[in-house]
Amino acid sequence: MDRPDNVLEIRGLVKDYASVRAVNEVSFDVRRNTVHCLVGENGAGKSTLIKILTGAVGRSGGRILLNGREYAPRSPREARQRGISTLFQELNVVDQLTVAENLSLGREDTTLGFLRRTDKVQRMVGVMNSLEPSIDPRQRVSTLSVAQKQIVEIAKAVAAESEILIMDEPTAAISEGEIARLFAIVKRLRERNVTVIYISHRLDEIFELGDAVTVMRDGRHVATRPLAEVKDRAELIRMMLGKAVFEGYQARPAGSREVVLQVKGLSNRKLQDVSFEVRRGEIVGFYGLVGAGKTELARAIYGADPHRGEVLFQGVPLPRRPDQVIEAGIALVPEERRSQGLFTILTVRGNVPVMNMARISRHGFIRAGEERRATREAIRRLRIACSGPEKEAAKLSGGNQQKVVFAKCLFADAQLLLLDEPTRGIDVGAKSEIYAIIRRLAEEGKSILVFSSELPEILSLCDRIHLLYDGAIKGTLENGAGVDSQEVMHVVTGGR
Amino acid sequence: MDTAAVDQGSVQVGPAAGRLSNESFITFFMIAVLIGLFGMACAFVPNFFLPRNVLNLLTNYWYIIILGIGVTFLLVTGNFDMSVGGNVALTGVVAAWACQAAAASPNPLAVGLGLPYGVAVALALCCAVGVGAVNAFFIVRLRVPSIIVTLGTMMLSRGLAQVITRGAQRNTSLPEVFGVIGNTFLPGTPVKVAVLIMVALVAVASVVEKATVSGRRTYLIGANAEAARLSGLKVGQHVARLYLLSGLLAGITGILLSSEFKAGVSGRASGYEFDALVITLLGGVSISGGFGSVLGMFVGAIILSVVTSAATGLLLSPDWQFTLKGVVTFLAILAQRFALDRRNG
Amino acid sequence: MTEARASVLRADGATAVRAAVKNLYIYAVLLLIVLAFSVARLDQVELFGPGHFLSPDSVVNMLRIAAPILTLSGAFTLLMISGYIDLSVGSAMSLAAVVFAFLVRAGAPLPLALPLTLLLGLGFGLLNGLLVMRLRITPVIATLVTLNLFKGAALLVVPKGLSAIKGVPGRPMPAWINDYARAEVILGLPWAFWVAVLLVGVLVVVQRRTVLGKYAAAIGGNRTAAELSGIDPVRWVWILYLLVGVCAALAGVARASYMSLGDPLSGDGMELDCIIAVLLGGTAFSGGEGSVAKTVVGALIIVCVTTGLMTVIPAFWQTFAKGTVLIAAVALNHLLVRERTPL
Repeated sequence: MDRPDNVLEIRGLVKDYASVRAVNEVSFDVRRNTVHCLVGENGAGKSTLIKILTGAVGRSGGRILLNGREYAPRSPREARQRGISTLFQELNVVDQLTVAENLSLGREDTTLGFLRRTDKVQRMVGVMNSLEPSIDPRQRVSTLSVAQKQIVEIAKAVAAESEILIMDEPTAAISEGEIARLFAIVKRLRERNVTVIYISHRLDEIFELGDAVTVMRDGRHVATRPLAEVKDRAELIRMMLGKAVFEGYQARPAGSREVVLQVKGLSNRKLQDVSFEVRRGEIVGFYGLVGAGKTELARAIYGADPHRGEVLFQGVPLPRRPDQVIEAGIALVPEERRSQGLFTILTVRGNVPVMNMARISRHGFIRAGEERRATREAIRRLRIACSGPEKEAAKLSGGNQQKVVFAKCLFADAQLLLLDEPTRGIDVGAKSEIYAIIRRLAEEGKSILVFSSELPEILSLCDRIHLLYDGAIKGTLENGAGVDSQEVMHVVTGGR
Repeated sequence: MDTAAVDQGSVQVGPAAGRLSNESFITFFMIAVLIGLFGMACAFVPNFFLPRNVLNLLTNYWYIIILGIGVTFLLVTGNFDMSVGGNVALTGVVAAWACQAAAASPNPLAVGLGLPYGVAVALALCCAVGVGAVNAFFIVRLRVPSIIVTLGTMMLSRGLAQVITRGAQRNTSLPEVFGVIGNTFLPGTPVKVAVLIMVALVAVASVVEKATVSGRRTYLIGANAEAARLSGLKVGQHVARLYLLSGLLAGITGILLSSEFKAGVSGRASGYEFDALVITLLGGVSISGGFGSVLGMFVGAIILSVVTSAATGLLLSPDWQFTLKGVVTFLAILAQRFALDRRNG
Repeated sequence: MTEARASVLRADGATAVRAAVKNLYIYAVLLLIVLAFSVARLDQVELFGPGHFLSPDSVVNMLRIAAPILTLSGAFTLLMISGYIDLSVGSAMSLAAVVFAFLVRAGAPLPLALPLTLLLGLGFGLLNGLLVMRLRITPVIATLVTLNLFKGAALLVVPKGLSAIKGVPGRPMPAWINDYARAEVILGLPWAFWVAVLLVGVLVVVQRRTVLGKYAAAIGGNRTAAELSGIDPVRWVWILYLLVGVCAALAGVARASYMSLGDPLSGDGMELDCIIAVLLGGTAFSGGEGSVAKTVVGALIIVCVTTGLMTVIPAFWQTFAKGTVLIAAVALNHLLVRERTPL
């Protein structure tokens, strides 16, 4: 059978969400039996592209050819059936079954419903053995480590004769030794007729593992090259960043304001000995890509997750529970707006006062007039576009929903705000508005910590920037004209 | 790893009548259903529309309604409480036993602790709250599914009632005052004090639900427990308190019922927990959380009352109750879902 | 490096002990209970003699009584492994008992009455599956609804004035109805028991060796992974509901046969017994884990406890005892069934 050299051909792929074109006329080829890497900043369109490939969302335009044939899966299941498997960070193994049972899940040989241990199953186990002989197929998956579970998923995809295996940031949660083992396996996949699409921001890995690389930026395709033709990290970074002009950062008078937050040696499962200080009125940024530990750091400070180390707020050790942290004057805008930040089935009025009900109540009774007034005030102050306090939060646009979350935090009279990906998934107009809000808050004397994976955002907002990689601060810089975004990218992608 | 899709910039504007919250909509919807059912019943059942009968419709499920308050709040947070029936029986039995005369008697069921009535009532209510505490411990602390725990405490409390009454009841050598509160009527009306208590509790519960911080917390937790936690609410503590409240309400009901029948009966309140759940569901409370109201539950209770009374009026045997309850609940769930889907496009 | 290895080895050793405890504790509990009741009244009765807990009569009686719950245990376990529940099994059982008694009294022979009743059981499962899987009503609420429907239906089949479908003057209940649940067939035990044993055996095999058992665990353990692998939860869980329905019907036949009548309230509380058995057997609340074999042991524990207690304490302690057993089972389950992933 004559199979084309390119296992995947993407032609003019477009994906629109209402006001944003997330994928903009992307075209490139993936050669068969290679490790093809996909890099780009957050917001470059990588994840949307992957979602289209895995059948999670549909495309708005363009075509995809799989082995020369039209490919337009309507569901993840169909994508898998067509031969494209994906290794996500949320592992898709059934802990309660054995390795062998997981390998054959959905593809068993049966007689009248009885599972038969046929050659087919033996072959699947054989695949597993050849990839990683130390895993006993009779083991329950629950006893395996994350890295081992990944290998089981890979083996399953290979055994299912998947032609393409998409690996999405697989090294974020595993140790160095396990990474080496994973890479050995990935390299051998080429001999097994599997093409790997490898997404990572850890550029060293790209160079070690990849045969070819595709760079995306702002939803567009920048370049696809064999890695042999890419000189070094710097060149990749240049392609990733382009000549982006970052929205002007307005330097604010430094002054020696007092230190409000001191973090010393903060550590937990993800974080490693994080230490820093924040002064009143400062906007401090934490920039890092996926898996860097941004959310973990925000949550640890907030008391939502346990940690070791010291956190002092206004000289006093911060309690380790969100309700007490809020009382102390710190509020968190969580990463996931809909599932963590908002009460979507409630109205704007129902959402805004939540973190400080005492302000609108007396003796436990809510004063409705006060509540409405306060909500209207918040709507006005943050310019939330809605028909009024009685609008259901679910019906607001993303940007306005995020403003409601902001309003919620501000209502708690917070003196320090933790913002986790504050403008993720929000259109450009709303982004600017939120930046304006953040700057205004800083001027009013509030201290802001921004945790973000969007470089332009960090560079346009923050006075000082800590660079995070693998749970530790790898670099710190003062914002200003002298910032070298190449250097920044170098650090957060694992460079030394 | 989550990378959310870029949200739509356009805002979906609901219908002009979007001023009415979904919750109020459902309550009105169920009121409409109630009126419809009432109308049908009047057409087919003789004397259904007589004032006396209408009064009965509004009041004869008073005990289920009191229980329904606790069940409603808990269901809003996504939890069940099936222990209320057993708890009612237990409270009644403990109250009776506690104030039965302590004098020795050949009949062991006639001998009690000889405590004053007030103390007996307090003791019984403590037991009721204690059942709630057991629920809270297993559900909040050990994170055991509420359906299983409360079925267990249902058996425990009813079982304890059976032990204290040896499977029967305690109705002898009780002080006069025992039968007072359950048998007092509003002067000149056939309305019992218990009904008034029910009305008062419903009113208070409604106020708490709509106008107090504590009531608001219940809805926040039900709407999104994770967001509630990150917003500083003490979710576990609040749910625990709701279980204590539910226990207390069951206790009050137990006191009232045992007073009305001047006996602590171990078989009392059999099936009440299911009825309380039924009226809560009829009233539009959704288990997916954060939605529903005590007033809705009250409407649900009247719907149930109309249906069962109509059945009796049509000379259907009481055995029809179960089928009717099942069918009515099922239809209500579907109808509410349908109505909400249509409304929200 | 060595320290990491050492801790992994320690974890392995500890895990092995934990696994052993998890698997064997229930047999230990059963043994303890049997022992406890055996020595309970040794001052009054002779060991293995008449009236003793382990006398042949007593054992036979217990196993006869156990037939219905043994019949239900396996299917109920599989359903719970998939993460779903059926609270209507008690009323389903009663309805089946009533219908069976009705058919028998009306003259239907066993080869007709039994299959018809089992067909009814299929109907139970069909309805539950429809509500839960198609209409997507929460299983607890859906099966409480069907609980009421089945109970109502059972009460309505029984004519007014009677408490059950039983023999009346002019329309006697044929004597052979007793045979299934009482007549001594092998080792002094009736068909009802042996059929239950066979069923348990079959379902143990189903759980361990068939697609149905594996998929139930997959759906309960990680539904997304199961769906991605091409498994359709609606289809497979519906099959489990059908299975539970048929078993409930069979249990109802056993009960009707044992009592020689169809009592519309005879199955009340069976769902609680099933839940207790399943909890004792170590099935996780959230699904994915469980064992038919251990649930059966749990069922035996319940039967032993209820019959044993009857000899020691008055009947009115039963409910309380059962409630205590449930709460104890919950606590035990909580202690033992908790995934501890290494590292």
